Amino acid sequence: MDEIEQTNVEQNDVLNVGYTDVPGTMLTESNAICDFIKKTKIQDVLNWGRKNSLWFTVNAMGCCGVELLATGMAHYDTDRFGIIPRNSPRHADVLIISGYVTRKYLPALKRIWDQMPAPKWCICFGDCAISGGPFYESYSTRQNIEDYFPVDVYVPGCPPRCEALIQAFVELQKKIEAKKDKGTEY
Amino acid sequence: MDANSIISSLTGKFPEDIYDASVESDIRIVAKVKPENVVEVCRYLKEDLSFGHLCCELGADYPDRNEIETVYIIGSYDHPVVITMKALLPRDNPEIESIVAVYWNANWYERETYEMYGVKYLNHPDLKPLLLPEELHGEWPWRKDYKGFPNKTARNLV
Ligand code: SF4
Repeated sequence: MDEIEQTNVEQNDVLNVGYTDVPGTMLTESNAICDFIKKTKIQDVLNWGRKNSLWFTVNAMGCCGVELLATGMAHYDTDRFGIIPRNSPRHADVLIISGYVTRKYLPALKRIWDQMPAPKWCICFGDCAISGGPFYESYSTRQNIEDYFPVDVYVPGCPPRCEALIQAFVELQKKIEAKKDKGTEY
Repeated sequence: MDANSIISSLTGKFPEDIYDASVESDIRIVAKVKPENVVEVCRYLKEDLSFGHLCCELGADYPDRNEIETVYIIGSYDHPVVITMKALLPRDNPEIESIVAVYWNANWYERETYEMYGVKYLNHPDLKPLLLPEELHGEWPWRKDYKGFPNKTARNLV
């Protein structure tokens, strides 16, 4: 048995311990309950909670990142909408792509996205993130970011104002309320 | 020392290797250097003429002359003079001795020039791409004949 198999077996052992010995618990491997909840009013309540606590990653990538940072600061005070900047992707719900995505950075960005727990949303902030902006046709940037991330809201501008980002969050909240967002499969 | 005495000192020491030396203004010297002996020239500049500050090292591509230039810009803390030295390399196989042994800060400049122009620095301690991802290695994107730009419009706009 090679090392990888060994690790997998050990991991499975760890995963299987603990669930069966809790009395009164039942395990299921299907999504039936989850799918059922999505059709009921409970999902509205869930979405109400989600839309009012959109925490975003402080992931300043380009010059737009400065606007992103400013939005989280006291002057714009996004906390009143429940929009709180978080420094760890593991605490965050919204990834804001704030600037040019270079070929070298894309894998790291994907990794940040993978580290965020679902449900999660993505906002493209600035011309660079939408189409390449001034770096359109550069040898080292990537265009068409929506191929890699399910983008809900695009914010044009170079850079967009902080108010535009707040507007984007409001649009995202409307989308979530209307169950039209890409964060969950309804 | 002023610009003229620095030129005469350089050409006196390396009559074969320094050519086309001229004074651009009171504080700037331009000279061409033979690629084979660039390390000795730099060592002489640093140790005898106290040019201790390598400001910059870069490349420039000249497809019509079929040459790639590596440019060394060296300043001094003692003389009010900046030297611009150029070494001309053939475009199909640009190779030059690394000057990291003399100026340690040439390390990243040479790595950048290597990944952007493909200038190979011999005896460089760690010649690998600095800024570009692996997939662009070998494309030499700053050469004038580089055609690898993605020529497609962003789909979500049109
Ligand atoms: S859209 Fe403009 S401001 Fe934003 S990252 Fe690109 S160049 Fe900078």
